[in-house]
Amino acid sequence: MIKIKRIIPLAVSVVLALGVLAGCSASTNTSNAKSSIDEIKERGTIKIGVFSDKNPFGYVDANGKNQGFDVYIAKRFAKDLLGDESKVEFVLVDAASRVAYLESNKVDIIMANFTVTDERKQKVDFANPYMKVSLGIVSPDSALINSIDQLKGKKAIVAKGTTAETYLTKNYPDIEQLKFEQYTEIFEALKDGRGTAIVNDNTEVIAWAKQNPGFTVGVPSLGGQDTIAPAVKKGNKELLDWINNELTALGKENFIHKAYDVTLADVYGEDYKESLVIEGGK
Amino acid sequence: MQSLGISVLFKGMNMQRLFDGLLVTAKIAFISIVIGSFLGIVLGVIWTSKSKWIRSVCRIYLEVFRIIPILVWLFIMYFGVTTALNLHVSGEITSIIVFTLWGAAEMGDIVRGALESLPKHQIESGKAIGLSFWGLYRYILIPQAIRRMLPGAINLATRMVKTTSLVVLIGVIDVIKVGQQIIEFSRLEVPTASFWVYGFVFILYFIICYPLSMLAKRLENKWNG
Amino acid sequence: MDKGSNEVLLEIMGLHKEYDGITALENINLSIKKGEVVVALGPSGCGKSTLLRCLNGLESIQGGDIKFRNKSLINKDVNWQEIRQHIGMVFQSYDLFPHMTVMENILLGPIKVQKRNKFEVMEQAKQLLDRVGLLERLNSYPRQLSGGQKQRIAIVRALCMNPDIMLFDEVTASLDPEMVREVLEVILGLAKQGMTMVIVTHEMSFAQAVADKIVFIDKGSICEISEPDVFFTNPETERAKHFLNIFQY
Repeated sequence: MIKIKRIIPLAVSVVLALGVLAGCSASTNTSNAKSSIDEIKERGTIKIGVFSDKNPFGYVDANGKNQGFDVYIAKRFAKDLLGDESKVEFVLVDAASRVAYLESNKVDIIMANFTVTDERKQKVDFANPYMKVSLGIVSPDSALINSIDQLKGKKAIVAKGTTAETYLTKNYPDIEQLKFEQYTEIFEALKDGRGTAIVNDNTEVIAWAKQNPGFTVGVPSLGGQDTIAPAVKKGNKELLDWINNELTALGKENFIHKAYDVTLADVYGEDYKESLVIEGGK
Repeated sequence: MQSLGISVLFKGMNMQRLFDGLLVTAKIAFISIVIGSFLGIVLGVIWTSKSKWIRSVCRIYLEVFRIIPILVWLFIMYFGVTTALNLHVSGEITSIIVFTLWGAAEMGDIVRGALESLPKHQIESGKAIGLSFWGLYRYILIPQAIRRMLPGAINLATRMVKTTSLVVLIGVIDVIKVGQQIIEFSRLEVPTASFWVYGFVFILYFIICYPLSMLAKRLENKWNG
Repeated sequence: MDKGSNEVLLEIMGLHKEYDGITALENINLSIKKGEVVVALGPSGCGKSTLLRCLNGLESIQGGDIKFRNKSLINKDVNWQEIRQHIGMVFQSYDLFPHMTVMENILLGPIKVQKRNKFEVMEQAKQLLDRVGLLERLNSYPRQLSGGQKQRIAIVRALCMNPDIMLFDEVTASLDPEMVREVLEVILGLAKQGMTMVIVTHEMSFAQAVADKIVFIDKGSICEISEPDVFFTNPETERAKHFLNIFQY
């Protein structure tokens, strides 16, 4: 698996290079063609790229049906654009190839838990966000950590190579880090009391705390906040505008909150809803 | 919790889905192995040409597939070539094309090696009874080469079966991807799911690859017996 | 028995052969009449095997001419596949096809190349196998045979094409001494039946017994052509004398 992980960036860059070459011919094609919305309507289905193995955002249930937070919102997009939520064709994508799917016109929208970054903005156009993530801190109820400052001089458990590790090293060098390779190991370490608290993605720690009574997420949002948004092919302004208007309209009925209740509440509980959801695109 | 583990395999349509995934894996592997072997034999014969130019073209073709990882080929074909040509080709067809081309390259090299390892006097005694170029290959060289290349060819076939797991990256839902979906879906309720699912997938791969090595052993015994 | 008939089967005129600019054969002139047994002798590396291979088109030549039944073989349009059916050859290395049985080895040329009737060829093959004493091995694979047996099968395989002339290239050189005789006897038998043959060998007494004509080759050219009795008792050239002395203890 490590080998594969090293190869993916190479593969992606080769493809992107090709994409640039192909871009010339492809862009002339799209400019001649009719608008992207009309094209989707004519086709009768909207192709949305989602994850198939990231529970609870995009996954496939035991009956082979796509489920999850991203999927729930995507279905609503289809209903509002084409009149029927069954008119969405889910394309199952992987993290590494999300950009390539957009660039090669294999999907109209990517809604695969796509975190907005400056680097990605160069290659795709992000719509307004519907979710936010940051770091979180989970600790035992008996010695609850409510603020990052309480961790100074104590041991924080992190997984190697994560945002949490980078963040702590950069901003809180005086917090001692206990590092592990695997996610499962960090949780075991906290249970064994080898460290004071775990610092990790807030979605991960919140979900884990929900399953493990006696532990609480005292700090649900820490550090820089990342947003998660739908993305379209660079330059597809028409579809981008449609998504943004749609998100605004959905905000009026608190639809993203409803999506949270249906798909995420079981995993994250009610308490953290406002830490995660962005309603109306803002 | 432990007793729940294996039940993951039987929940809902999971078992059916795993077999559907296996079918995808088997289909891609089988078609590419068959067409790739055939093309590989043709390539191998061409490769033994005396022309330096032809030999270098063959070598470059092989090296291009050796140096550039198969994953990159899948990406190039799926996202690059289809976009450039404005075609829509499914991930499955793309995989079959890439695996066939790769199989042909490796097989060509194996066939070339086997042909070149045959003693020169086999060619001469074939010529001495008046065989034509094609007769020589058809009756004398290829039948002997096939015996010599069998271990390498079976090794290649099992490698191809295993490498099909890369097709998930261009959106093909093979047996491993189905496995990951099931594990991820049941991650919170059944933490041991990965053990059972991957264990089962291991058995499924074994079911595909074992008959291949059995076949190889049988043929070898038959020819050497 | 038509020994000494005047029909010339194979005629070599001024043949010149070189490998990468190094001369291997120079100005070779030799004619082989129907029914004649010609034995080429000479030190190792003298070019006698090369000469034989030129006669079968396995080596190209750089000068001179070879005529088979008065037709030149030095011509781009020559159909060697056709010619080789008339000029059989047996090599030093055991050259049976290892993936075929004895019978399949023998049948391949007559059936696939000459398109002859299978049953007729099988009958002929059985007779020939019987003559070399190997009829019971027709379903064996080459790996189950001894070196001498393999060479006898190779001879049968060439004979079954009904060639006009047979070329033997040191066919006993790789054999264990006790197997040499069984192979030579087969060749001797062929000579008695009047088969035209060109034989390259190091078996001196065999050469003397079988040859109508001895061709002594040294350093790529023919030094002397003599009757066997003359050659072995009183050779004309110093080089031939020297060569024969090596074989006397």
